[in-house]
Amino acid sequence: MSLAIDDAAWASAWRRRSPADKLLLCGGLVGCALVLPAWPGSVLVALAAVVLALGPARVPARTFARAVRWPLAFVVVGALTAVVTVDGGGLGWTPDAPARAGSLVGHAVAGGAAVLLLATTTPMSDLLPALQRLRVPAAVTEVASVTYRLLFLLLDGLRTIREAQAARMGHSSTRRSLRSSGVLAAAVLTRSWDRARRLQEGLAGRGMETGLRVLPEALPSSRRFVAATLAGLTGLVAVSLAVA
Amino acid sequence: MHIAEGFLPPAHAVGWTVAAAPFVLHGARAVVREVRERPESTLLLGAAGAFTFVLSAIKLPSVTGSSSHPTGTGPGAILFRPPVMALLGTVVLLFQALLLAHGGLTTLGANAVAFAVVGPWVGYGAYRLVRGLGAGLLPAVFAGVALADLATYVTTSLQLALAFPDASTGFAGAVAKFLGVFAITQVPLALAEGLLGVLLFRALTANARPELERLGVLRREPAVPAGGAA
Repeated sequence: MSLAIDDAAWASAWRRRSPADKLLLCGGLVGCALVLPAWPGSVLVALAAVVLALGPARVPARTFARAVRWPLAFVVVGALTAVVTVDGGGLGWTPDAPARAGSLVGHAVAGGAAVLLLATTTPMSDLLPALQRLRVPAAVTEVASVTYRLLFLLLDGLRTIREAQAARMGHSSTRRSLRSSGVLAAAVLTRSWDRARRLQEGLAGRGMETGLRVLPEALPSSRRFVAATLAGLTGLVAVSLAVA
Repeated sequence: MHIAEGFLPPAHAVGWTVAAAPFVLHGARAVVREVRERPESTLLLGAAGAFTFVLSAIKLPSVTGSSSHPTGTGPGAILFRPPVMALLGTVVLLFQALLLAHGGLTTLGANAVAFAVVGPWVGYGAYRLVRGLGAGLLPAVFAGVALADLATYVTTSLQLALAFPDASTGFAGAVAKFLGVFAITQVPLALAEGLLGVLLFRALTANARPELERLGVLRREPAVPAGGAA
């Protein structure tokens, strides 16, 4: 079983760009989304992230659009709750409700689009070595990389078992569905232990004594990309502050 | 549901990251020590992280007829203890942000406090308390898993109330608003996740008793003398 965002990252035209370059671009966009005024800063950041993703990075528009649905639901509910006021008489809107809600939604959509640009162009297995260079302990990044590799196997098992349960009327009522979900969770956990044990036995047979060493893929930084990123971010900040 | 990227003001995002850091670093140190002593633990801990991620993908039937997803940290806290869950939960949140677009990077600290610190500690505390009162494994698991879920959403509501106090009633009014939207609606789902935990541990007791004994969840059964009981 695959995840749409992970598939997009592996197929992206930016897959072979340096993760550090992409972190600089997306981190800069996230920072701009947080700090700059919602108008026009958030609009420009969101536009930049979407245009870069759908244009040069060649991320499928459908994947990008589907990925923003869940966070957007949280953002809309959260923003509406933030601009409702509660006093003795009941509920009402704050005086600046439209502007405040618009600002909240703008910052969140822009930040979310910038993170999604990183997620849809950089597979997790490229980002984890980058974390190690940021002095995250090797043991932690190795645990994270095993998690990344195992979760697809477990998601596959989850789907297969769930289909088998459904075929046996395991989800025909709420009571049965809950029972099936419990058995499903137990099966996934015992499978994960079994996989880990078998992996460990296989690696021990190959003489694993310290960490999980793999040959790192060379993804060199591009001066042109970094220069364009810095120029673009500077221009975005300048335009936002001038207009605001 | 995690706080989305860009939703918190910058000062709050930084503040919650600083608040989460000691717990995550403590968990990281525990993991580094464990892996140094037993390199094979890398695989078991990775499997635990993958299980937590996948558990949050299981659909739970809710009382309203729709379905929702468990947080997945309650069973993890009981099985692997809260310090390890602080790190594994944060890794899972990072994966959810980058593989599912749930949560975010600047809100990772705030979400880690709710999902990887407060939820597991409250759940584990409730589990230990109920077991300490003499109850069996399954009632304790129900209390631990349900309260871990609920505590996560109560913490998220408090974080949002701190960031967005009500215009006329301040923090208290905002707490009431956000609890009403994000936590009260979660009560039936927390109960459903508690039941899921009970069914999970019942199945594990039947099929994976040695692993539960190794993790200290169940006491080792005394060995039966050769020849068996008369």
